[in-house]
Amino acid sequence: MTLIVERAGLTTVQDYGRPGWAHVGVPHSGAVDRGSFLLANRLAGNERSAAMLETSGGLALRASVAVTVVITGADTNAYINDQPLAHCKATLVHPGDTIRINRVLNGMRCYVAFTGGVHGLAQLHSLSHDSLSEIVPMPLTVGGEITLGATDRLATSLDVPIVPRRSPRLSLHPGPHHSLLTLEQRHGLATQKWITAQDSNRIGVRLTSSALRRNEFPELLSLPLVRGAVQLTPGGELVVMLADHPTTGGYPVVGVLASDDVDDIAQRPSGTPVVLGW
Amino acid sequence: MVDGLLAGQAAMVRTAILHTCAEQHVSINDVVAGARSVVITHPRDNAEVVRALLSSIDVSGAVEISPVIAPSVTLAVDYSGPDLDYVAQQCGLTSQEVVTLHSGAKYVVEFCGFSPGFAYLTGLPTVLHLPRRATPRPRVPRGAVAIAAQYSAVYPRESPGGWHLLGVTNHELWNMTRDEPATLTPGTIVSFEQIT
Repeated sequence: MTLIVERAGLTTVQDYGRPGWAHVGVPHSGAVDRGSFLLANRLAGNERSAAMLETSGGLALRASVAVTVVITGADTNAYINDQPLAHCKATLVHPGDTIRINRVLNGMRCYVAFTGGVHGLAQLHSLSHDSLSEIVPMPLTVGGEITLGATDRLATSLDVPIVPRRSPRLSLHPGPHHSLLTLEQRHGLATQKWITAQDSNRIGVRLTSSALRRNEFPELLSLPLVRGAVQLTPGGELVVMLADHPTTGGYPVVGVLASDDVDDIAQRPSGTPVVLGW
Repeated sequence: MVDGLLAGQAAMVRTAILHTCAEQHVSINDVVAGARSVVITHPRDNAEVVRALLSSIDVSGAVEISPVIAPSVTLAVDYSGPDLDYVAQQCGLTSQEVVTLHSGAKYVVEFCGFSPGFAYLTGLPTVLHLPRRATPRPRVPRGAVAIAAQYSAVYPRESPGGWHLLGVTNHELWNMTRDEPATLTPGTIVSFEQIT
């Protein structure tokens, strides 16, 4: 049960992450958009945390046996040979067929699950590629093989595909340093016209604005960070922590986003407007 | 989150939380110590249980309620780091005095972060407290023994870094094939020994 990597592109192997090691400095990691990840495993008939591929495009795989594939997350330019591959639809891939995901559209990443799940030798109980610590249990190389598990479970399809939600306003829950903010600063964070910055990645999303306000908060002692924590930098930008976020940090954490809102913001390409509110 | 702790308390509060969770069979993902705080992450459906458990832990008494025998490690150090002379000069000491002070102190892992197995050690003599380098080095070798502000640390692997390098140890600090990959976990007592 294998797939051959013809092109890896911007692709990593991800499962539901590596919990339980943050106290020794290892990020949680795992799928960035958890909602899309869970949906893919559900449709593929897999366990909820089964490993799959997270890709931002440039991926080509050749099936050496018949496999069932499901794509969720951002919409894509995806094909099996030259036939378009539909989103959220369990699709049978025949031996010799090539699955191509050229580009993601109107989003950052899509999830490619196979019935049976991706199998390999875990590191610290997870197959997730952690870009911060460079823990990579399954590097994808051209010509390399991806092993799938055997299963008799059935995959299902959705009549109407689910693409990542884009909420008009994301709720900031007060973070541990919320009280450092003046009323004016709190108001400012909620009324500023934020956009997602170019250098966002699996570690975090940076939010910038044309009217940044510097601040003079005292340097803080390192505190543990969580997924969704929103740091305020001295320059006035915000950084939202994603899957591979460092386990501790020293900037004030002014707010925290709920899990679904983390999925949402992580799927916004650079330059997308973001409205925050308390 | 438990916040507003005193220096040296976070690792012990973390241990107390872990013990209580194990005793009461409360499912959690991570209990992570910071410099003055501890954060607990847990499955969404047991938020109430964790909140109740946290309020039942006497944080102020954590220093007393830690009967656990902390693991201890001695690291052999070759004190030939590139910043030894600079540190000596900044602190108004000789290089040998810096080595004697650094290797004579007893340290405790307060918390980990920055990279897997990187431990922030408290116990650095006050006279050696210096701000970190103005320009970080792009490459600090694996095993480098370093100081910055009130902390000492050992780089578990080659990485960029802004701390002052006093020496190097051969001790393996991070190995994912071990049951406990990190040598320096929160609460571990650490001493440094000069290789002569």
